[in-house]
Amino acid sequence: MVLQTLAAMGEQHGYGIARRIEQVSGNEVLLNQGTIYASLVRLQQRGWIEADWGTSDNNRKAKFYSITKRGRKQLAEDAAYWQRLSAVISRMLAMQQDGRE
Amino acid sequence: MANFLLQSWNRIVALFRREKLDRELNAEMESHLAMATEENIRRGMSPEQARRRALLDFGGVQQAREMQRTSRGMPLLDILAQDLRFALRQGVKAPRFTLAAIATLALGIGLQTAVYSVVHAVLIDPYPYRGAMRIVHLHLYDKDPVPFDLALNGPQYEQFRKSPVLDASMAEDRWSMALTGEQLPLQVQADRISPDAFENFFGVPALLGREFVSADGTQVAILSYHFWKSHYTGRADVLGKVLQLDHRDYTILGVLPQRFAWGGSDIYVPLTYSSDPQRIANVYARVRMGVSDQAAERMLDPILHRFARETPGHFPLEFHVHLVHINEIAIGRFRGVLIILFLSVSLLLALACVNVAILLLARGEARQAEMGLRQALGAARMRIMTQLLTESTLLSGLGGVAGVLVALGCIRLVRHYLVAMPSLFPPEAEIALNQPVLIFSLAISILTGILSGLWPALRASRVSLRQSADSGSQHLAGRHGLWRSHSILLTVQVTITVLLLACSGATLRKLEQLIHTSLGYDPHHLIAVNITLSEGDHHNWAERVHYYEEIRQTVAADPGVASAAIAFANLPPSILDSAPVSVPGSAVTGGNVVPARVGRNYFSTLRIPLLSGRTWTEDEIVHAAHLAVINDTMKQLYWPHADPIGQTVALNNGVAHGNVWLLVSPGGDERYQVIGVVGNSPNQGLDEQVAPSVYVPYTMVAFDWFNLTLRTQGDTAGLLHRIREQVHKIDARQAVGDVVTAENMLEGDSLGRERFVTSLFTAFALVGLFFAASGLYCVQSYLVAQRTRELGVRIALGAPRSHIIRLVTQSSFAAVLAGTAIGLALTVALSGIFAAWTTGNARDPVILTAEVLLLFASAALASIIPARLAAMIAPMEALRVE
Repeated sequence: MVLQTLAAMGEQHGYGIARRIEQVSGNEVLLNQGTIYASLVRLQQRGWIEADWGTSDNNRKAKFYSITKRGRKQLAEDAAYWQRLSAVISRMLAMQQDGRE
Repeated sequence: MANFLLQSWNRIVALFRREKLDRELNAEMESHLAMATEENIRRGMSPEQARRRALLDFGGVQQAREMQRTSRGMPLLDILAQDLRFALRQGVKAPRFTLAAIATLALGIGLQTAVYSVVHAVLIDPYPYRGAMRIVHLHLYDKDPVPFDLALNGPQYEQFRKSPVLDASMAEDRWSMALTGEQLPLQVQADRISPDAFENFFGVPALLGREFVSADGTQVAILSYHFWKSHYTGRADVLGKVLQLDHRDYTILGVLPQRFAWGGSDIYVPLTYSSDPQRIANVYARVRMGVSDQAAERMLDPILHRFARETPGHFPLEFHVHLVHINEIAIGRFRGVLIILFLSVSLLLALACVNVAILLLARGEARQAEMGLRQALGAARMRIMTQLLTESTLLSGLGGVAGVLVALGCIRLVRHYLVAMPSLFPPEAEIALNQPVLIFSLAISILTGILSGLWPALRASRVSLRQSADSGSQHLAGRHGLWRSHSILLTVQVTITVLLLACSGATLRKLEQLIHTSLGYDPHHLIAVNITLSEGDHHNWAERVHYYEEIRQTVAADPGVASAAIAFANLPPSILDSAPVSVPGSAVTGGNVVPARVGRNYFSTLRIPLLSGRTWTEDEIVHAAHLAVINDTMKQLYWPHADPIGQTVALNNGVAHGNVWLLVSPGGDERYQVIGVVGNSPNQGLDEQVAPSVYVPYTMVAFDWFNLTLRTQGDTAGLLHRIREQVHKIDARQAVGDVVTAENMLEGDSLGRERFVTSLFTAFALVGLFFAASGLYCVQSYLVAQRTRELGVRIALGAPRSHIIRLVTQSSFAAVLAGTAIGLALTVALSGIFAAWTTGNARDPVILTAEVLLLFASAALASIIPARLAAMIAPMEALRVE
């Protein structure tokens, strides 16, 4: 989710990412915003995103994260995998309904 | 893979940049919150509300920080370092607890390691020889309980050694020889062994030079380490020198290492079998790997029976062969003691573990409030568990290290004991802290830490915040579940302590009995000197008797000698072999008695009292009159109500025909007339009943050695040298052995060993008692501390002090009582097993009572301090606690 957000919106700070995820999910994913930082550091250590200090719209110092080339590749792989998986799951669910009838 | 490496690298880097990363994280989170607050304000909230909303959305700031750190660095290492630091601080903060736990473990582990090392060195692997566990003596048993050692002549040995069940074998003829060519001949123990014995049988490399092989011929010698040190003062230039044994020259080829002490001999020379079928030598064998003793016995039996038909004189009439492993012979009855020792020390280790568990449990309970606070602040259960585990593992690790130090100290102590008493263990045994044992004990120490740490950790981590915050109520009620586990541990401790006390009591009792055993003779100023003939010397019965008497009379004339007697036996309480007897006309006609062959002044020299009748005259001894003196046990057994004087006994000990070495008196049969009865003196060792004994004139069968038994007087310095000179004048080739004093023999062989065992067991029991007392003390103190407020209220309401004391001691008292009862029951139940191992009696009621009293006294002592503390609680202070 973080990777997708960054890929879609470009450079973004932690708060922005957290808000974005909340908005996109229609507030269905209601995480503690603080947990985002654990994911961010993991992604950073895997080399999928990079971070740099910058200034936000309202002139506040913040750390901005952006997706790397490796990150994009990973995102593509994960997205493809996820789509395959969800397609399979939907087919399964559809089949189950058939079975009930 | 690349991913993983990159991540790991980043994590390691993060470890070293922790502070910078933490600062950045804080700044980042702060800006996050600020942005969230601003946005909320824009949405129309008041600044306070906006900030609150932002914090709520963010969730726990500390948790988030912790999660980020966990993902960032090496959480395990980080936590470990954190926990170790914390554990060290905790340890320093509660020094009494820390020291108690470490000391308990150190004693338990240290003693366990030391005793296990000794058991390993003595029982499991004492000998340096190749395949030592498969080296056997071959004993031939007939109906007589005393076995024959297998001895074969040259041709027989050649056939024997080819047996497929044997890996290797060796023939040995061990005898005293005179080391001649020096000023006075010196009696040494020479071991003539098969020329190939070193390369094929022993397989122990020489310390200096080399060992002989078959090609070296017969005139070569190897020195034992002991003899090399004592006679040649350890000089390296002995190699190639010549030494003279019985006036024949031997070239010294090498010196053996210290642990090579086969037969305790001084010098090893090659054995040459002559073609004479009468020349026999003892045989030892190493059984082939994978062949059981029974299988080997079945295979050897027919061969040996064939040999017995060839040379019937060298074998008992009807026999079967029995293999006896060399260390069984060396350890003998001490094996049982070592096993009990090992069991008790294992019990002690268990006790130490229980003690540590009690300590940790009590402490875990005392820290419940702390645990509750941690959970409230967001510590995960696993996190609390790992912290507690780290603490207990650190404790047990330190205990293990201290334990190794204790073990090293103990082993040094045992070595010190061994110098004083070389006969305690086989001389080859090398007592050292061995590594497998060390690893075993360290593993036990870590395991102890984990096990005893896990339990309190599980308990402590279950504590809910409410429970611990609300601790007042628990303090009032006392917690029953906890109490049950403490009581069980206390009961176990007391039970084990009673068992240890019982062991110690049994050995103490035995030592006391030994010390007070009536010796029946006076060991002060009593010595014996061994004189052994060179092979084939004085080869005529009358001449040999004359020669022996001449030596005795000459030595008796020395001013340092009060009286002298000849005996073919070692001083009491040495164990003497027995032989079948028949006593016509008495109530009991058969059985076994101990025949002792002695000279005229024997009883007066040893100061064994004559109870009735008379002893032999000079003339009767010299002419080997068929007259016997019996001991009191024999009189009580065979003639309980009649006078034995004038009765006849017949000995059947199978030497009537004599041989090369034993010269039988002319016209000897073995019927004797009893002429006197003397008092008992031990003839089966100090701890066994005196066996019935028949004393006959030594001249009946003139052996080629004898002990000159001397009662000394005045200044005895230089006595041995004077004896050597006197004997030298009579026969220039005759060597004289060393002096053995009766007091040394009593101390070294019998009492010394018992003293060693008793002091070990007593030390164990005292350490066990200390553990139990400290466990009890700990439980009591903990209980009083937990219930301070409740006790204060009670005192404030007017409860008498005695009531308070009863209140805090009653459950521990019940545990001590239960433990004592179980321990006593076990002692009585197990005493049958103990009896099979030692002769000490673990059921002696006096000893048991004393043990229980001792236990109760120490239990009382251990509870007095906490109980008094409880009774002296000042109500106002108690209510202000916390």
